[in-house]
Amino acid sequence: MNLNSLIIKNFSRNLKNYGLYIFALVFSVSLFFSLLTLTLDDKASKEISQSTMMTSLFSVGAFVIVIIIIFFVMYANLIFIKRRHRELALFQLIGMNKSKVFRILLVENFFIYFGSLICGIILGFFISRLLLMILMNIIGVDLLVEMNFSITAALVTAGIFILIFIFLLIQNKYFLHRHQLIDLLKLNKVSEASQKPIGLATGLFGVLGIIMVAVGYFLSTKMFEWAMENPILLPVLMIGILVLTIVGSYLLFKCGIALILNIFRKRKAGHVNVNDVLSTTSIMFKMRSNAFLLTVITVITAISITAMSLSYINYYSTEKMLESTEPYDYTVENKEDLDYYETLLKDHGYDIEKYEKTFMSSHVEMDMESPLPEQEISYPIVSDEEFEGYDLKNNEVYVTGTLAILDFFTNMEEGTAVTFVNDDSYEKTLEITKVYTEGILPSRLTFGMPVLIVDDQIYQELKENEAYEKEHDMPTELFAFNIVDGDNDEILELMDKEENPSFTSKQKSYDEMIQMSGMLMFILGYLGFAFLLTSGCILYFKQIDECENEKGSYRVLRKLGFTNNEILRGLIYKMIISFGIPLIIGLLHSLFAVKSGWFIFGIEMWKPTLIVMLVYTILYSIFSLMSLLYYKRTVNNSL
Amino acid sequence: MLLQASNIKKSYGNKFNRTEVLKGIDLSLGKGEFVSIMGASGSGKTTLLNVLSSIDKVTSGHIYIDGFDFTTLKDKKLADFRKTDLGFIFQEYNLLDTLTIKENIMLPLSIRSMSKKEAEDQFNTISQQLGISELADKYPSQISGGQAQRTSAARAFIHQPKIIFADEPTGALDSKSASDLLKKLQQLNENLNTSVLMVTHDATAASFSNRVVFLKDGLVYTSLTRGDMSQDDYYSEILDTQRVLGGVLDESK
Repeated sequence: MNLNSLIIKNFSRNLKNYGLYIFALVFSVSLFFSLLTLTLDDKASKEISQSTMMTSLFSVGAFVIVIIIIFFVMYANLIFIKRRHRELALFQLIGMNKSKVFRILLVENFFIYFGSLICGIILGFFISRLLLMILMNIIGVDLLVEMNFSITAALVTAGIFILIFIFLLIQNKYFLHRHQLIDLLKLNKVSEASQKPIGLATGLFGVLGIIMVAVGYFLSTKMFEWAMENPILLPVLMIGILVLTIVGSYLLFKCGIALILNIFRKRKAGHVNVNDVLSTTSIMFKMRSNAFLLTVITVITAISITAMSLSYINYYSTEKMLESTEPYDYTVENKEDLDYYETLLKDHGYDIEKYEKTFMSSHVEMDMESPLPEQEISYPIVSDEEFEGYDLKNNEVYVTGTLAILDFFTNMEEGTAVTFVNDDSYEKTLEITKVYTEGILPSRLTFGMPVLIVDDQIYQELKENEAYEKEHDMPTELFAFNIVDGDNDEILELMDKEENPSFTSKQKSYDEMIQMSGMLMFILGYLGFAFLLTSGCILYFKQIDECENEKGSYRVLRKLGFTNNEILRGLIYKMIISFGIPLIIGLLHSLFAVKSGWFIFGIEMWKPTLIVMLVYTILYSIFSLMSLLYYKRTVNNSL
Repeated sequence: MLLQASNIKKSYGNKFNRTEVLKGIDLSLGKGEFVSIMGASGSGKTTLLNVLSSIDKVTSGHIYIDGFDFTTLKDKKLADFRKTDLGFIFQEYNLLDTLTIKENIMLPLSIRSMSKKEAEDQFNTISQQLGISELADKYPSQISGGQAQRTSAARAFIHQPKIIFADEPTGALDSKSASDLLKKLQQLNENLNTSVLMVTHDATAASFSNRVVFLKDGLVYTSLTRGDMSQDDYYSEILDTQRVLGGVLDESK
């Protein structure tokens, strides 16, 4: 029997093992290829990537995917090669030298790898069409999804994966080089728990990990507040928080969890039951690799949930943001333009409802701390007579058009006292009684500030004392209109011509915003999904690996008289620890991350964030169920 | 009789290609008895042991333990039965890599409502008798084969089962470790009055038992009781019977 027939025989008999590996490869290739196809497709990119920002977003996405894939494929390869350690040892035992063993691996890998590459590209092609349809749906663009197979994308994909292939070869070579024959024969049997008794140091490090995470969380809630005072702090704090939480998580897993499990095990003093055997002791046995893996999964989970939540908050809030910043269908500059459009639209059979309002600006002092210098805050003020639906008492102020991000500058809450002042000694103090997110003036007239509504009597009084603001040349008039039967694209098209006076359109702003935030959400969602799949697969592979190693244990336990169900119950605990801990800590990380900066992205935090977390958790749980099923099969077949 | 097996048959394969391994075996084991099963490779020793210990199911026949027939029991009941009444020692030790020696030994006690103190006493007694008390906190990968097999024996005895089944317990051990282990087995068998059923192909190992049952081609060929014989005489008797039995052993002698 020569080397080649050995390889072929080996290959066909190892197909079950290879299944896992091939799946990992095909999945990664299609993931990358589909994203690349989207980026390179002419039609799609014309429609979606008008701005350079979008193009660069796609490139960043593709880059991140490559990094994930490298990590993922190398991890899968490592598990795979470890699983075959006995075979590799046997080859060497019968006198093959290491380079020959390496050659066997190389030839095998070559076929698997490039087979998967081709499959992955074909699969990726279909996925990319699906992705494009989803994308178009999200950003509300009608485009017939029709895509050509992109040769460039295929070539780039192939190029990247050849590079990864070289990485894998180096990894395999290193593995063979590093492990002596005796190690290969004993691999997986040696405990990774430190043989030394758990000392004070481990305990201290465990506690340190918890403290680091806690400090990271605390800083995250203060980050923007402090950064307001000193902008330099922002990047420093961001990096600091990242380092604190990541290192803290690692210490927590490495020492904290080892410590807890150890105390637990010590307290049992050998009186372990079957649940302990399958969960705690099994996890402790491979503590070192478990700690690293759990940290990686936690960080990945946290990053992807944070990114997805923020982008979803952004997308989700678009409409509400618009209610706040663009309350009218169309806003124009002056009375003549308003009349011009009224005639134009009447001619085409559209009725409009005109709004001509006046308002003023006044300097206001608020009864609270604000990081901004007081003098510069000046708010637009309107009378309740001017706007319908409001009727205030003469000691009340309503605030409209507050965005969450403004909370930093002006924390306006119901009950806050507001004092109107001018250069002279004039002062008038009122109390805020209602706060609305919706706006009554477009943000281009208010410069993004919230608008205060006061009683008409107060308004007149303020007007008389208005002196200060005159110098600032703030706008004081609004010319806007709504279309009575609702706005549509035809009206926009009719108005949007060179010869017509300029205007801002709510519809147009909406389209632009939704495209922007939709695109962002798509890319981040895609990356998040890739992260999810990767981390889920990695955990699944790890579980399969451990399951194979512990097969003997299940047989022993069953021979000793433990039933399938008793063993499975123990394994459920193990799944809960292995999958649950990184998920929970990851969710916690991302919750604090989202909480620290969500207001930049939108006006609603909890609902979108919880939706993202829920969906993530459900998808993630699928992997734990898959692992459990694998365990169940193994346990049932073990006797 | 503690264990009574009548007309046990076991066959493998499908309707067209059937191999009958056990062709109707009758066997009994008294309380406190130490019985060896010998026979050439392929004579059905291990299959018999697996069937008697409820790990494998019979094709036909009945096995009674304390007058109770367990061949009709469902899997779950069988597992309970193994947990409480039976102990096992295997050729390849079958220790759990992830547990320390102490935890491995104490495992069968976990399903019993036994106070920690009692369990601890039990462990101390048994591990002292088998000479492995210093290994308590080591992992299986850190101890020798002989130690591993004694750990396995301790695990089999700790819950004081009615019968211990031992499948080639000395198969992987050198002769010194093997006779050490067998002496301990013999002592425990006498002290605790636990019955032992051991499969072996080693005449030395068999000479530690009260009775040897010889199998040939799936049937009981003959059996040999030690009675008042010295171990040496008994040993040569066993060898003689083996020679008569023929098979592979004939050529090796």
